[in-house]
Amino acid sequence: MPIVERSLVEVDRTEALELEGIDVSGDWNTFLRSRVVQDLDLKVADWVKGQPQGETISRCWQCGTCTAGCCLHTDFGLEEFNPRYFIYLAQIGYEEELRRYAQTVWRCVSCNKCVERCPKGVKVEEVIHTIGSYLTLTGAAPESPADRFDRAYTENLLRRGVLDEPDLFRTYERLEGRRTPAGELLRMGLKLLGSGRLHTGPLAHRTRGWRRMGAVLREALTEDERRRREGLAPSPPPPGGPP
Amino acid sequence: MSAAPSRGPTDAVPAYYPGCSLDGLGKAYEVSSQQVLRALGLSLDRIVDYNCCGATEVKNLSQDVSVALPARNLALARSMGRHQVVAACNGCVYSLTRANDAVSEPATRTRINTTLERGGAPAYDGTASVQHVLEFIYQRAGAEKVRARVRRPLEGLTIAPYYGCLYTRPKRYTGVGKVPGTDDPEHPHFLDELLEACGARVVKDYAAKTICCGGGHAISDLEVSVAFSASILNEAQRAGADLVATICPLGQINIENHLDRIRTQFGPEVLRPVAYFTQLMSLAFGSSLRAARLANNFSRPDLFLRAKGFS
Repeated sequence: MPIVERSLVEVDRTEALELEGIDVSGDWNTFLRSRVVQDLDLKVADWVKGQPQGETISRCWQCGTCTAGCCLHTDFGLEEFNPRYFIYLAQIGYEEELRRYAQTVWRCVSCNKCVERCPKGVKVEEVIHTIGSYLTLTGAAPESPADRFDRAYTENLLRRGVLDEPDLFRTYERLEGRRTPAGELLRMGLKLLGSGRLHTGPLAHRTRGWRRMGAVLREALTEDERRRREGLAPSPPPPGGPP
Repeated sequence: MSAAPSRGPTDAVPAYYPGCSLDGLGKAYEVSSQQVLRALGLSLDRIVDYNCCGATEVKNLSQDVSVALPARNLALARSMGRHQVVAACNGCVYSLTRANDAVSEPATRTRINTTLERGGAPAYDGTASVQHVLEFIYQRAGAEKVRARVRRPLEGLTIAPYYGCLYTRPKRYTGVGKVPGTDDPEHPHFLDELLEACGARVVKDYAAKTICCGGGHAISDLEVSVAFSASILNEAQRAGADLVATICPLGQINIENHLDRIRTQFGPEVLRPVAYFTQLMSLAFGSSLRAARLANNFSRPDLFLRAKGFS
């Protein structure tokens, strides 16, 4: 069979060589670099499968229905956001390739079209988020804006049982080092105040008797985080390094 | 494998789960929902001391916390003697039904109930069914009853019905499309019918009907959420609608939060006023613009509607 992939051919192999008395000097241009990926490691697959949000990953048979309808991939046009491929890479344990998407995986907006349509009952959206968590927890991906938001949201809600929306907005902006102009905040604040919607700080809603429930859930959260980190040694940074 | 979601027994007066948005930024949705329900002779019994459901965010950190939060609310509804819970927010419907799916597995239910008990909440038996307020109004009253109740038809208004993501999706959680009498998960039409019954013209080829608004990434991924919010308005413009009706506080707030950015990036002609469907229904049932709190919305549908002759 002819070799059609020229880039795989190493051309500088002209050498003088004698084997068993026969001169075989010449252009040994058929020495190919290995095309076989050898550093597959099922650690990522096992970890994702081991999470309640990720356990359905093993049902995926790679039909691509999720990706065809994915609002990020198709509607928004972010082609490198390919949930089918992310699942494939996790399934075969091709972590090096997966890490190339460290800046992309977190962008899923949880529209759940993939979960709705998956013919195999894969909870695609939750699996993708689990893969994202793996990348963050192993240090392969930097903490994403969505990671920071999820955490700020959860901490905010566990404080009183009811979300303090204006406070979440302020906290998150602080985390990102962003600042909405004071005039705009004031305009919004006055509008909310005027319509009786500024439930923040001392005016925030709270769930009666939440103190105890909040403490138990915070404990559950810590325990879950400990369990998730267990056995996950941080990986070296991706080739090229994080930005 | 968990059991398919089903709606189970019905209550004359189901429990009502407001969620944090309806008591906060989405107050106009809460107020107008009550007006609509009252006008149709329907009532709901509010879950006192509810807690926030965790939406789509908490599950990314912890499965147990993301199940326990909504399960506590469902347990409270059960201890009120109710089998049915109505929520007005798509995010709430998602997380409450997701919790139902999770606790249908006995081991998970036991673990979650231990957590609830330690936190001082009643245990949850997994038997409260959850539905969106849109589905509740459609099933209990229906288009005919709505039509009979209209005092001030929404004539002259062309409305784009925006359902968003999690009203129907995914059916393995919400049951929509699986349970008889529920909406179509890919091509929902309950909102279309109710608004038509109110006398409005509803655009049929509204491409953005069920697209995402950016959801929980509203402020953490502006590039995506502004683009989606803009296309919800842009498609409404293309379809010839002058108003967008929403059924979810997250969708409403995301779009309105991005109005300035949409104006800058896509031009002022894309902008449309956005209102909760219950505000529009309440208006049709005879409420004033003020009573339906239409001036609360940042996109100011009240100004547009006043120009159309509503008061």
